[in-house]
Amino acid sequence: MKRVVITGRGVVSALGSDLSSLMEGLSEGKSSVKAMPDWEGYKGLRSLLGAPAELQNEKEIPRKARRSMGRLSLFGVKAAEQAIRDGKVDENLLTSNRFGCVMGSTMGGAGDFLEAFSTILRNYDISELSSMSFFKCLSHTVTMNVAQYLGIKGYVMAASAACASSLQALGLGYELIRSGRQDVLLCGGAEELHPIVTGTFDILYATSTHYNETPSLSPRPFDKKRDGLVCGEGAGVLLLEEYEHAINRGAPIYGEVIGYSTCGSGTHVSQSSREGMRACMKDALKDAQLNPEDVDYVSAHATATLQGDQAEAAAIGDVFGGQVPVSSLKGYIGHTLGASGAIELAASLEMIAQSIIYPTLNLYDIDPQCNQITHVMKPLKKDIRVVVKNCFAFGGINAALIVRKLNN
Amino acid sequence: MDHEIIDDEQLKRLVNEVFEESFETNTELLKADAMIFEDIGLDSLDIVDLVVALQKKFKVQIRDDERIRSIRTLGDIYQFIINLKNEGHISEV
Repeated sequence: MKRVVITGRGVVSALGSDLSSLMEGLSEGKSSVKAMPDWEGYKGLRSLLGAPAELQNEKEIPRKARRSMGRLSLFGVKAAEQAIRDGKVDENLLTSNRFGCVMGSTMGGAGDFLEAFSTILRNYDISELSSMSFFKCLSHTVTMNVAQYLGIKGYVMAASAACASSLQALGLGYELIRSGRQDVLLCGGAEELHPIVTGTFDILYATSTHYNETPSLSPRPFDKKRDGLVCGEGAGVLLLEEYEHAINRGAPIYGEVIGYSTCGSGTHVSQSSREGMRACMKDALKDAQLNPEDVDYVSAHATATLQGDQAEAAAIGDVFGGQVPVSSLKGYIGHTLGASGAIELAASLEMIAQSIIYPTLNLYDIDPQCNQITHVMKPLKKDIRVVVKNCFAFGGINAALIVRKLNN
Repeated sequence: MDHEIIDDEQLKRLVNEVFEESFETNTELLKADAMIFEDIGLDSLDIVDLVVALQKKFKVQIRDDERIRSIRTLGDIYQFIINLKNEGHISEV
């Protein structure tokens, strides 16, 4: 089996248009959650909160490439470009058939879906549809757009598993390199904030509804006063590369992927499963040939839903006991759904580099149902060697990926 | 109904607007003899959107009009739209 390292990082989030803005926001304990007064026009939508990101310089992308990109694809392209620059990828490598792309999102662009169906349903007439509607609504829209725009000719595939999408993309990339199928892959995910996305959680009573007047106080993962998730948006893309390949071309190395698992819980479409989460983390540890005590930090999925946080805390406690530090980044940037795995893994790599764990924002009073683990409630200086990143998606889909610091 | 009768020059300006708004076309490229593919840079997918945009701009249905197939230049579009007006299909914008 070949070794897989991370040689490039790209992030767009509500805290800024690159990874350093995200890390700065985390270090300042800054919430990017805002009130979304325009959403009041949607009847029945109770949660009027979101963590919007800013699109910057998208017109730098030539029109013919940009025309098929909805908001989430634009985020994806921006993050992918950063990862390529960060990883010092040249044109020959980028366009070789040993360079692939696996990215994902929950679905195609929500805003584009709404626009397309609004156009059709006005008169049940398809003749006013743009030629680009289809390309923006496809479930592989971000993958397709990133791969097309960058001229990628290797393995291209979309991972679409809601909140686990980008972690599954990274996991697949890891397996493709480990098995020798590809040398380098751009892996990650993108997501856009839209009232109909928040609405899908809102009708399931999974959104935060009590903090519309005080946006920065929500979401509150693991806190006694948590009341649901807040959606965010953006993209995270990491460059995965075969170890020797990276060494030979002098690429920067930010960490090594050493374990991965994805599995189904097989129980319920929306209720989190402690057993499923536990099985996933255990399997990832087995893949990494590690013991639970080898792990220095768990970057939790924890979105601040009542049941989800409780199940994850219990599952982490089952696997690791109560000693390993745990935090969730959702309080800073909202739940970026299909992008969350890659964005939060990129942040974890920086935490490894800086020997610091950033705390769970808005966690002041630990829910007794979540207290079987060590919550990070203020910045924690610590030598971090091994990190577990969790993502758990609707549909009972679990994913856990393990990275470690690479000795120079 | 508040009708605004428009002349041919106005029609041409509105066609140009479609190119500027939908395809970010530089105004300098919008000459009657400009080839739509070669000079203005549109492709077959853009033509789908060009038809939709013209339909919206001139409140007319042209998707199934066979004359679209013979359009090559911007001038051909001007003439096509002028013909539609002369046939009574465009009376207001």
